[in-house]
Amino acid sequence: MTDHPHAPHEPHGDDLGHGADHGHGHGSPFIAHHYDDAQHQFDSGKLGIWLFLAQEVLFFSALFVAYILYRYHHPEIYSYAHQYLDVKYGAINTAVLIFSSLTAAWAVRCAQLNQKRGLILCLATTIVCACAFLGIKYIEYSHKIHEHILFGRYFDPCVSAGGGELLTRNNNCAGTKSTVVWDFGTGTPTAGCFTEIDQDPRRDGVQADCTVKEYEVSGPEGKTETFKRDITGQCPEESPFGGEATSSAAAGGGKLEPGGKGGESVQAKGGEAAAHGGGKPCWRPAFQPAVCKKGVGILVEYGDNVEREHTRIKAECKAAPKPSDAGDLFADKPQNLELGKAAIHPRHQLTVHEQHELEAAGPPPEHINMFFTIYFAMTGLHGIHVIFGIGVFLWLLIRAIKGQFTPDYFGPVDYAALYWHIVDLIWIFLFPLLYLIH
Amino acid sequence: MSTPQAHAHIDPGYPDGPVNEPDFLSVEKGLKSWLLTLDHKRIGMMYLFGILVALIVGGAFALLVRTELWAPGKTIVGQDTYNQFFTLHGAVMVFLVIIPGIPAALGNIILPIQLGAPDVAFPRLNLSSFYLWMAGALLLVGAIPFGGLDTGWTLYTPYSLETKTPVLIAVSGVFLLGFSSIFTGLNMLVTIHKFRPQGMGWFQLPLNVWAIYATAIMQVLATPVLGITVLLLAVERFAHIGIFDPTLGGDPVLFQHFFWFYSHPAVYIMIIPAMGVISEMISTFSRKPIFGYRFVAYSSVSLALLSFLVWGHHMFVSGQSRLANMVFSALTFTVGIPSAIKVFNWVSTLYKGDIRLKVPMLYSLSFLLLFTIGGLTGLFLGILAVDVHLHDTYFVVAHFHYVMMGSTLVAFLGALHYWWPKFTGRMFSESVGRACAIGVFFGFNLTFLPQFVMGARGMPRRYWDYDPQYQIYHQLSTIGAFVLGVSIFVTVVSLIASFWTGKKAPRNPWGGSSLEWQAPTPPTLYNFEKPPVLHELYNYDDLVEVEEDRWERRAPTELESHEVDEAEGHGHGSH
Repeated sequence: MTDHPHAPHEPHGDDLGHGADHGHGHGSPFIAHHYDDAQHQFDSGKLGIWLFLAQEVLFFSALFVAYILYRYHHPEIYSYAHQYLDVKYGAINTAVLIFSSLTAAWAVRCAQLNQKRGLILCLATTIVCACAFLGIKYIEYSHKIHEHILFGRYFDPCVSAGGGELLTRNNNCAGTKSTVVWDFGTGTPTAGCFTEIDQDPRRDGVQADCTVKEYEVSGPEGKTETFKRDITGQCPEESPFGGEATSSAAAGGGKLEPGGKGGESVQAKGGEAAAHGGGKPCWRPAFQPAVCKKGVGILVEYGDNVEREHTRIKAECKAAPKPSDAGDLFADKPQNLELGKAAIHPRHQLTVHEQHELEAAGPPPEHINMFFTIYFAMTGLHGIHVIFGIGVFLWLLIRAIKGQFTPDYFGPVDYAALYWHIVDLIWIFLFPLLYLIH
Repeated sequence: MSTPQAHAHIDPGYPDGPVNEPDFLSVEKGLKSWLLTLDHKRIGMMYLFGILVALIVGGAFALLVRTELWAPGKTIVGQDTYNQFFTLHGAVMVFLVIIPGIPAALGNIILPIQLGAPDVAFPRLNLSSFYLWMAGALLLVGAIPFGGLDTGWTLYTPYSLETKTPVLIAVSGVFLLGFSSIFTGLNMLVTIHKFRPQGMGWFQLPLNVWAIYATAIMQVLATPVLGITVLLLAVERFAHIGIFDPTLGGDPVLFQHFFWFYSHPAVYIMIIPAMGVISEMISTFSRKPIFGYRFVAYSSVSLALLSFLVWGHHMFVSGQSRLANMVFSALTFTVGIPSAIKVFNWVSTLYKGDIRLKVPMLYSLSFLLLFTIGGLTGLFLGILAVDVHLHDTYFVVAHFHYVMMGSTLVAFLGALHYWWPKFTGRMFSESVGRACAIGVFFGFNLTFLPQFVMGARGMPRRYWDYDPQYQIYHQLSTIGAFVLGVSIFVTVVSLIASFWTGKKAPRNPWGGSSLEWQAPTPPTLYNFEKPPVLHELYNYDDLVEVEEDRWERRAPTELESHEVDEAEGHGHGSH
């Protein structure tokens, strides 16, 4: 901002100060009397609003810093969690806000040109857009509240980001999901989900910098299992392929109900499971997928140790794979599996999109609630600013209808429009940061 | 091209005659006229009295803390109560007294007059700042009946998430106080930019204005971070969003970063206005222009900018990376440069000055010594290796009290005496004032010098109990605290009593050169009954003491030619 002193347009230019000059009248009734003239008031207000906006930027900055920090340390959370957000809603809201910024700027122009009707129309449109924005936000929020896709300890959704069903830690899912009975004849659950929830999500060594491969095995009942494989060493005995249990043998050993009767814990990708006879398998969130730093894939694993022993699938474990050639592992291994069909994706490098899809099918990573903490904090604070903006624009609208704004006095419209632009601008940062992560 | 010079020839300044308009205190009467006033002086005075009440509350907590520490073990209260005492002492003093003390109270009253302006830029915003302060103060103090607050004024997570004390109420108060501070700063910035009279360029501003300008930058840019931080803390408390809660994946140290990103600049929000008023008083009472005006002015601004870069030095032992520690340590030392420039310039101003030991000057000289000690001990703490030993000991307590209290509060008291006659129209009792100033100086040193020693010997801060070897230091400190407390209390009482007992103050009791001394005493509603005349700042040649505590400008002053050039260079000189 310029720092020119007041009174450049001062008619009584001989005064050094203006202290004694409080008798003079101003043209407009809205020029406060400690200002020299309309221009002085306008310039002061303009500097004031710019400083206020600087304050706003700093007010939001802490949240942006928190965003950067948590994303830097936990990229997997962000790449998973953003899939819960609907880009469509975000995009519509972006368009709505940008349009409302246009009408806000237009309102200033109308006030400058003394176009009362245009001013009223522009202000009203801005208010309508702001309300539309909040309406869409309401749809998004209510969906998330309904699905328990929330912050902190309230994060407890019933679906994975990909839409598959999740069995959640606090078991807030509705209906009969507290128990499940698996019908091995059809390969579908006949009712419910597990009641016993693994409380410790960090068990069984799912490491962030693991050297594991992920691949799937299709079982005889059409079930699909996903296993990890340590490609750096011999095939360990505890490997899912090293045991003796077949899938049918596991039928008696499942831990579906507290009593341990009734079937087997079953995991499958939601989408595929649906394809296999319309069953609705439940995800256990007990084990988290880990993003392998080297880019070899994503591990998705379910069940605790005991349970896996029960559900071990018989497989022949052949010679150890060559650590140097991960591709061979996928090329050779499937033929050795008694379960039959070839494992998927030999030699296939997942695209980012596929990786995300695969990821989205699994349960959320640990502390994914942090994403929604950030999401709700940022969009919530932004929403409060939108509500405040609506209040301001309503006030302006009333004043505009009364005809109080003139080319000599339109400061409030200008200041409110500037405020509205920063609200818009913050959203323009929020939209890609939250919705468009890749 | 006419210049302000023209005025200087015809108007040597105000004679101390009767003023035709009523002063701001009597222009309107009644409680309502105060509560709804838009006059910056009245708002400033309401601030001032609120702050003095808070000062007494905070001081009472300090004395309770010191009394408890008289002997090891329980002296008067138990551990939990003690925790609340030091928390409330810190919170009240920092948020309610020291931060708004000079900028919001004295700055509000004096800054527009120093600029020759009728008011601040946004009087209604100014009044709302005051009410935000009031609401924040009530909430903060309101935490006491709801069980006190025991987190320390720093509100560190995760303890502040777990404690049973009403953190939510207190942080709501802090949030409001933050916005009060932001709006005050915004108001000051716009006032300084837009309400300087023609002819007053940036380098004809009183240094107090520069200091408040630098302070306001920090208020506007740092305080919002505190706002969002305590907002997140509050939401964390009631909704468990997890952002600072490690059990939910959050990072409690992030809170410390956010907190100090505000609270380190806040330290400069507290000290820089003190430096501003000290510059005014030292120049006035030495009858000499301030030495190195531009350096003093620039050092205020550079301190303000540096203040944003050193917050990490509060967290050397919080698990920061080594690199961050080294960078923050190095940056911390750079803060010493502008601070030292100021001290050097003040001392040089005193050199060969015609020093008058009036009450404000006694406080100013105290400030010089205490700030030097406080500043230099800060350098010890900036050294990484030494900080590991001294962190969270009484050494730190002593250090920041030398800066926050020995410097800021002493400067505040000095400035209060300096401008008191101007806005109340009454002279205070010089003898009581001097006795109290000396009492404050000795009481303060007796309180905090022993704390340096016991801190260096390992006494941790905030402890309720201690080994007997520290008792002698604690007892000296406690005695000092009472001397200090009594001195300040008597000062406040004496000042307030001067409303009734003091003799009428003249326009210019100290021979100050800035514009506020041309205004009537007390000023009229819009400060000046006729436009003030711009004289060369900090030039005392023409000011003559016609009788005790009454100065008048006798001979016309001609602006030096370079001053005129400068005014023109900034585009202010021409009409």
